Amino acid sequence: MDNGTSNSASENETITLKSCDGIEFHIDARIANRYTLLNNWNGGESACIPNVNGKVLEKVLEWCEHHINDPQLNCGDDDSRRRNTIIEEWDENFLSCDQDMLFEIILAANYLEIKPLLDLGCKTVANMMKSKSPEEIRSAFNIDNDYTPEEEEQFRKENEWAEDY
Amino acid sequence: MITLPEECYYIIFNNLRPRLKNLFSCALVNRYWCRIVIPILWNDPKDYLKDIRLIEILLLSLNSNEQILLIPFKISLPNYQKPLFEYTSYITNVNDLLDLGIIKWLRYKKYHLGRELANAMKSSLVVMFLRTSKNLSCLTLNEIICNQIIFEKLYENSNVTSLDLYNVSDDFKSKTINALAKLLYENPTLTSVDLFDNKIDIEDMKEVKH
Repeated sequence: MDNGTSNSASENETITLKSCDGIEFHIDARIANRYTLLNNWNGGESACIPNVNGKVLEKVLEWCEHHINDPQLNCGDDDSRRRNTIIEEWDENFLSCDQDMLFEIILAANYLEIKPLLDLGCKTVANMMKSKSPEEIRSAFNIDNDYTPEEEEQFRKENEWAEDY
Repeated sequence: MITLPEECYYIIFNNLRPRLKNLFSCALVNRYWCRIVIPILWNDPKDYLKDIRLIEILLLSLNSNEQILLIPFKISLPNYQKPLFEYTSYITNVNDLLDLGIIKWLRYKKYHLGRELANAMKSSLVVMFLRTSKNLSCLTLNEIICNQIIFEKLYENSNVTSLDLYNVSDDFKSKTINALAKLLYENPTLTSVDLFDNKIDIEDMKEVKH
């Protein structure tokens, strides 16, 4: 049985994916060929992708479709790709969503092993942290400070050398 | 906020390199972030080994055996409480900027600057790195401190892959050729020894030993 993993998928071939809340998506089979985990849920009547809801899966698949013709990078390129902080305009607009959705996309990309989208999401979050004080980061991401004042002071003392670089 | 798995934060924080200030701020956000940031922040501080604040923290990591090397010089070492992390365990690379950091620290503390004192400090710090830095892969040493204690530690170390020796004389090379050969024989992880201008071919050295 053809499970869609063949690299010769043509432009007209489609596969069906279902989100955890039961929403079906008919996508270009070439997408599933690029991101092999998507193939695990291909076409099964009752199979659905756990942990990813329709709203998030729609966004993830929108990104995959836009990047369907991107060259595929080798694993060895991971570091250079991650260090490159430039984000294309389309991707920037794509990720200009609310913070919860951005984090949901990162979670889904991590779960589905869509590495370029995972890196892009992480890069976007990193850019939101740049040049911010700890207080500004806490307020931007709604995080509580669980340091004791003594611990915080000790941490500052032990790492103050890094603050200037 | 939706919590991400640790591996996602690891990718996020790695994107903040090499600006350590950004990593410093993230580590101060909360304890969870701190635990993920510290190994990244301390991974490769070689360009900052000239900073006396960093030297001060490194000196806190000396154990009693390493401090013994400094007793003849009556150095008063920093006396803070136990550090929050074993920071030196994350360091992967120690270069010759450590010498500059030591000299600046000694000047700042108003010690009489002598080569012996600076060399003893470097020896004790290098022994400490070889004990604690589980990921140390590159180490730069000079001729003076390349003594028996350091060689003994290097024999046992299974992480260092690259050893750079600078300021070495021909006399030193001929005297230590056996120790270096033994080192390469005992330590299979070492793949490069750079004698400043003469890179030793590992295979040749192994033949010398055999």
